[in-house]
Amino acid sequence: MRRPLALALAVALTWLVVSGPAGVGALRPTALAIGFALIAAALAGSLVKRFGLPRVTGYLLFGVVCGPYVGNIITTPMARELQLINGLAVVLIAFIAGLEINFARLRPQMHAMVRFGSITLLLLYAGLFVFIWLAWPWLGIAPALVGLQKLAAAGLLAAVVASFSPTVTIALIAESRASGPVSQMTLTLVILGDLILILLFALLMQLGRFAFGGSGDVGLFESVSWEIFGSFAFGAAAGGVFALYLRHVGRELTVALIAFCAVVATAGRTWHLEPLLAALAAGLVVENIAPPRGDMLKDAIERSALPVLVVFFAAAGASLQINALAVIGIVALAVSVVRLLLIRSATFAAGRYAGLPPALAGWVWMGLVSQAGVTLGLTLIIAGEFPTWGSQLQTLSVALIAIHELVGPVLFRSALVRAGEVGRMDTLGPPALEGVPLDTRDL
Amino acid sequence: MTLRGELRRPMLALQRRAALGLRPFTAPVTFFIPLGISLGPWGLGIISPQTLAHLDVVVTLALATLGVFIGVAGARQAPAMPRLFAAASLEGFITIGVVAGAATLLLGTWGVPLDLPAVAVALTLGVCASASAAPAAEQGGDPEHEIASRVADLDDVLPIVLGGLVIGIANPAAPVGPVAAALAILVGLGTAVCGWLLFERAEGSAERAVFVLGCLALLGGAAAFAGASPLLAGMAAGWFWVIAPGESDKLVEGDLARLEHPLVVLLLITAGASVRPDLLGVWLFVAYVTFRLSGKLIGGWAASRLAPDVAPSNLGAYLIPPGVIGIAFALNFAQVAPTAGGSVVFAVALGAVLCELLTLAVVPADRRA
Repeated sequence: MRRPLALALAVALTWLVVSGPAGVGALRPTALAIGFALIAAALAGSLVKRFGLPRVTGYLLFGVVCGPYVGNIITTPMARELQLINGLAVVLIAFIAGLEINFARLRPQMHAMVRFGSITLLLLYAGLFVFIWLAWPWLGIAPALVGLQKLAAAGLLAAVVASFSPTVTIALIAESRASGPVSQMTLTLVILGDLILILLFALLMQLGRFAFGGSGDVGLFESVSWEIFGSFAFGAAAGGVFALYLRHVGRELTVALIAFCAVVATAGRTWHLEPLLAALAAGLVVENIAPPRGDMLKDAIERSALPVLVVFFAAAGASLQINALAVIGIVALAVSVVRLLLIRSATFAAGRYAGLPPALAGWVWMGLVSQAGVTLGLTLIIAGEFPTWGSQLQTLSVALIAIHELVGPVLFRSALVRAGEVGRMDTLGPPALEGVPLDTRDL
Repeated sequence: MTLRGELRRPMLALQRRAALGLRPFTAPVTFFIPLGISLGPWGLGIISPQTLAHLDVVVTLALATLGVFIGVAGARQAPAMPRLFAAASLEGFITIGVVAGAATLLLGTWGVPLDLPAVAVALTLGVCASASAAPAAEQGGDPEHEIASRVADLDDVLPIVLGGLVIGIANPAAPVGPVAAALAILVGLGTAVCGWLLFERAEGSAERAVFVLGCLALLGGAAAFAGASPLLAGMAAGWFWVIAPGESDKLVEGDLARLEHPLVVLLLITAGASVRPDLLGVWLFVAYVTFRLSGKLIGGWAASRLAPDVAPSNLGAYLIPPGVIGIAFALNFAQVAPTAGGSVVFAVALGAVLCELLTLAVVPADRRA
């Protein structure tokens, strides 16, 4: 009873303040938005957990319900202010992902993983491309396109639709305290898959520029190469510095971690790097080259990650354009169903080829459904580069994100439950996923 | 006593202020304000005006945090030591009176054009001046020092209440002064009840930390957005958590202890980076330092009548170090009245540094013996 009462109080207080006359022309509502999102989204997360759903879904639903497109308690300016934390959150999540990939531990399964991942990705992309090519006149993007232009546009859309969400995957694994082959395989596949898709996307953008009569110069390819390799180099260096700090100073780690994330996020924006890749590289360096002694990093991440993730997912929910679903709902639903079927069949075939147990492939596909930031980022690049048809593609992509961001976490959580991996981080400890840092019983 | 010994005593007194766990040679104000100035738009430009705008949220959070700490300390100490609370309030009232009275007179004499009533600027200076932070007393140490330390803890209550009124006067978008103060208290109590319902039933320390941080942001954010004082809202919430059944106050204190250091550091760096030299600021700085010292000495002398175990000549001297509350309030004022607020931040931030340095010279007489 206490929690619903507290939730009602927080909603009432925020609604009164936001709707009151004094707010007009006053300060930016950043702190108000963060405070409300932290309390109410955390409570919504604990509420949906009672129904067996992941807390992340609660945070997202809270954002949708209270966001500007539905309840408008989180107004448009408040939702915009909440986005400020996105950069920090993406870096933190990617850093946690890097910390989870220990090459020494993965070596025995590496061969099977590479075979499984590459076949899954190949089949998924090829299947989506063929579907999009055939269904092009009905997608409502630019039905008149033919030849090379259609090839480039369909290729780009296939890359967007195929992309995954490392952030949701990490958050779910952490939340469920999951440990085992399904979580490990899904995480690796999602991260490496997105990397390959980003590279492919860069090549397709070049093709698109050529096909649509652009200069066809190598500017974008160069910039994407810089983003990828430069980000890795910068991230590795930053990770090295952070590892040195952990080893030789080791104090005020929560502050140091937040400062580290802020530096990587800011450097990413300033130097046109990809903060997600830089933070991933930093995590890999810390985990594989200079692992910290004891639990100090784990404790620091426990303290700082949960509030950041709660606000991040609440902000994501608040910015979900539900109205896009109304505009292009049926088409988006059809594309989504095809994507799901293709993911399922691709993992099934790849699992057989790689000699994985059928059950494993039967669960991993559920972790590949979520879509979020990477997908949106790729979409925005297309919309900026090809405004004539990019905006229609953006509407479809946003509708797909809305579907997959809500369905994906539920499916992945269900896979982890069925695989018996939920909570195994506590019982098994280090061997399966050593150093996975969040105390997600509390997430 | 040798010159070396003479110099050593004040240095030791300053070293006792081992704030931030870093054991700085002097108080944090004397290090982080100049650091902020050097990093800010008037220094190296690393903290740009855009970054400063983003740091508004840090200021709001820090204001609410400091308010909660003062509320918790006030609710615990004021009923137990009513005479000391009265002494602290008297001292604070006199300091505000001296500084605000002098500033009103001077602003009228100078004829400086202001975009808000001169009395609001003068009262802001008075409120900033009245806060003090005597060095923390050691367990079983000098009783006079201990009393001064408690007076310094309690003398923030009155300025925060008055500050709630001043924010209402200074902010054209806000309700009138008393309504703004009442609004801050209502926001504080509403959020405090919400936190009280949650803290003790949280599923683990990480979830509780989310609730505590959420309450803090809601306190500061809701108060600031409504045009009220986050400090006053925080103080009301802190006060409530102490008197409410359960252990909310202890839980909040434990979680906020982790936030306090980084927030105070960021607050001081933000204050330093916000320093924008102008003529009015320079004039206010001179008036602020001069009349704050006078106010503290007079107020300390008067307050010692109610605090019998401390020598009349010493209490004021103990209370000269200004701490961070005054700076926090100046930043709060600058949020709602940016033009005059810039000058006030200049005066208060640099005044705080100077006052901290002055404590090197102004050490209670018996401690020199």
